[in-house]
Amino acid sequence: MTLPPAAWHAVEAFIVLNVLLGLVAYVTLLERKFAARMQSRIGPYYVGRPHGWLQPVADALKLMLKEDIVPASSDRAVYNLAPLVFLVPCLLIFATIPFAPALGVADLNIGVLFFLAVSSLEIVGLFMGGWGSNNKYALLSAMRAVNQIISYDLPFIFAALVPVVLAGSMQMSAIVAAQKGLWFVAYPVIGQLAFIAFVIATLAAENRVPFDILEAESELVAGFRVEYSGMKFALIQLGEYAHMLGTSFLGALLFLGGWLGPGPAALGPLWLLLKALVIFLLVTWVRWSFVRIRVDQILAISWKLLMPATLVLLLAAGFVVATRGAGGG
Amino acid sequence: MADNGAHGFWRETGQLVGAVGRAMSVTLRNLFRKPVTIHYPDVQRPYPDRFRGILALAYEKDTGEEACIGCRLCEYVCPPQVIKVEMLKGEKRNYAKTFTLELYACEFCELCVQVCPTDAIIMMKSFDLATADRRELLLDKDRLHALGLQFEPSWATGNRLRDMQAPPKPARGEARGEGKAEAKGEAKEPAE
Amino acid sequence: MTATQTQQVVEIGYGGNERLMMNMGPQHPSSHGVFRMILTLEGETVVAVDAVIGYLHRCHEKLGESLTYVQYPSIASKTDYVAAMTAELAYVSAVEKIAKIEVPKRAQYLRVIVAELQRIASHCLWLGTWCLDMGGALGGGATVFLYCIREREMVLDRFEELTGARLLYGFHQTGGTRYDIPAGWDKKVRETVDFIEHRLDEYEAMLETNTFFRVRTQGVGVISREVAETVGVSGPLIRGSGVGYDVRRAEPYSSYGDFDFVVPVETAGDCYARYRVRMVEFRQSIRIIRQALDGLPEGPISSRPGVKSVAQVRVPKGEGYTRIEGARGEIGCYLVSDGGPKPYRLKWRGASFSNLAVLPYIVPGHKVADVVAIMGSVDPVFGEVDR
Repeated sequence: MTLPPAAWHAVEAFIVLNVLLGLVAYVTLLERKFAARMQSRIGPYYVGRPHGWLQPVADALKLMLKEDIVPASSDRAVYNLAPLVFLVPCLLIFATIPFAPALGVADLNIGVLFFLAVSSLEIVGLFMGGWGSNNKYALLSAMRAVNQIISYDLPFIFAALVPVVLAGSMQMSAIVAAQKGLWFVAYPVIGQLAFIAFVIATLAAENRVPFDILEAESELVAGFRVEYSGMKFALIQLGEYAHMLGTSFLGALLFLGGWLGPGPAALGPLWLLLKALVIFLLVTWVRWSFVRIRVDQILAISWKLLMPATLVLLLAAGFVVATRGAGGG
Repeated sequence: MADNGAHGFWRETGQLVGAVGRAMSVTLRNLFRKPVTIHYPDVQRPYPDRFRGILALAYEKDTGEEACIGCRLCEYVCPPQVIKVEMLKGEKRNYAKTFTLELYACEFCELCVQVCPTDAIIMMKSFDLATADRRELLLDKDRLHALGLQFEPSWATGNRLRDMQAPPKPARGEARGEGKAEAKGEAKEPAE
Repeated sequence: MTATQTQQVVEIGYGGNERLMMNMGPQHPSSHGVFRMILTLEGETVVAVDAVIGYLHRCHEKLGESLTYVQYPSIASKTDYVAAMTAELAYVSAVEKIAKIEVPKRAQYLRVIVAELQRIASHCLWLGTWCLDMGGALGGGATVFLYCIREREMVLDRFEELTGARLLYGFHQTGGTRYDIPAGWDKKVRETVDFIEHRLDEYEAMLETNTFFRVRTQGVGVISREVAETVGVSGPLIRGSGVGYDVRRAEPYSSYGDFDFVVPVETAGDCYARYRVRMVEFRQSIRIIRQALDGLPEGPISSRPGVKSVAQVRVPKGEGYTRIEGARGEIGCYLVSDGGPKPYRLKWRGASFSNLAVLPYIVPGHKVADVVAIMGSVDPVFGEVDR
């Protein structure tokens, strides 16, 4: 192709975005079927028998055709902008994820930093949604969310930094390349603990049970998104699942060896997808097995347990690298 | 979160890990069990004999005539008063001139079946009468007779229920004597 | 906040912070029915709670005056609709007490079997909805809920084979019961009860040692013994607070004296204690059912002829009160008869009505998330509360 690089990147981004949207839609179906089987029932079934293949399409159509109800006393600008401000960072994180050694929108040499920084921006959109709705339930939920996500971002960052330290680079393709011999999750003690901390921090950053106090359907109905309907709600849901998938991809890249796997190199993206889905299903499995815990208990876990633990892990990883000498595999 | 300092911390962490593992293993076990879903309406589950479904009027077995004699006992016993009957006097026996039953308000308590002396009103083993128009659930006599032929009747009829509740006394010289013995024979299910 | 003379709202004085009044309104996923709580919050802590009931008032007591003794048992099941058998039992027991009607032994045993099966079904629903409230409709709570409902469906299938109905039965009549057991029913009940006993082990494994569950329920909603006795709660609430009061032991009715069972008592008074009490009650109900099935005597199921007309039961002048142990507590039925086919006055003592009165004493001081856990462990059914 003789396109100038900028146009080529734009085309790549467009393709990635579209594939991503389709993937996110079908990941919701996967979650519903998996959860249903764990509960002795069948998930979506009728729309596209026998496995509900068309259910995401039906849901998307339904949400697009729904009436957009805006509360009369809401803060219009904040309320209308919130879904966008929430969605954009959740989609932007996919810009730095490489799907194969040379395939990806932008394989930045500060890739991990960009990912972690941008993914934290969703909290702004979340709080805007809670505030702009002019609803006490939404506000309560938004305040809990700010508490929780900020508290868990630190252990999340520290846990994600352990592979960075072990690999010696923040560029995602370099981290994957450093796992050629041994996946970081198989690294003795440090790898497993860092992976577990990463999964727990992901659960909390995604507002998934047992940390979903911010939506807590049985108390606050739908949390900060209670006043949203129709396409705005769809955008928020899209953002949440995209973020979930994004952190699954990150986990697969950082801990599970990315695109490394048996077979030809062209199968790389497939391996990456499968590993990301494994993390996603692990998170789903945890989600559907536990009751939630209270917000003060959530914060206690973060500050009293996860923070010191991930700090210690990071220091230990640094120590290991320092004693290994320069370079290192 | 820790009692006894470091030792308590490790013990609690161990307990937490054990609890997490146990809960997740229960869900994993259920992942591989067969779902309990019955694919209604493609598949109907088997309804038990005594199922209380839609109400219907029956015909007499021997003569083929309408069984209802218009005595209005069901109308009086119905708690939400959904039955309305008008009697038509005849020479040998009475009939029901009109019989309306408002199925949308019916409680399905089976009291009308219980009191009917001629086993005329019965319940069916089906409940499949959902409509979009409530007027279709205002059942008149013809509709009730048609429903009686459309679905499978439940086991419970007036005589059977009354016989189950109090065994018939030996000295009972009514015309229903043979009918009652026959009903009692049917009521005695095997291995009861 | 509306302040009426009959309402006592216990407020804890926190200093300084702004107070937010939030309505956990009649339409709410976890209010267990139509129930309104006006919470006064300081941050996340509930400072006062004002409970508003009456959204499900259906004039049961007036209906009792317009329906005869033959018609009303089918309606009585709609007070405590989750545990319908025990509600009907309260009414017919009151009628039998005033009219001094004997109930044959077989009918008494059948009533016991059915009441204990109903207790199992009701506790299945309690556990499922409580975990659903605590765990979220899209989360682990829903998993436990669906497991419990799966087991409850089996019990309801047994009821369907017995009476034809799954939720509101009309099984009891004055003088006995209306249906006898069909062929093979006792074998199926034994299988059901064995199956549920195994599944109970699974639930306990999933919940009891689970740190998340313990942290949500231990120390939450403590009803002290004094408060329990003063306010007049009953059932698992009072047994979780150290008082071993069970109507089946205190005033045995319907041959409960023939059976050997343990009345569980816990002293902690928190949600976890009430959970433990109900889990033990599960197993004790299973034990009673097995004993009753083993000892089921032959004989008639009613001491009166089969119901043939609406005014068949006439009760002499008098009045009487019976109490029975429902799944939620002590259900009482007070009847005044003037000699006709209909009662002169019917009064229900709903177990949940008295149990809900404890909320202003135990909720303030907890977080909003605990309100949900407390409501679930109190386990109200609003048919009983509002009648």
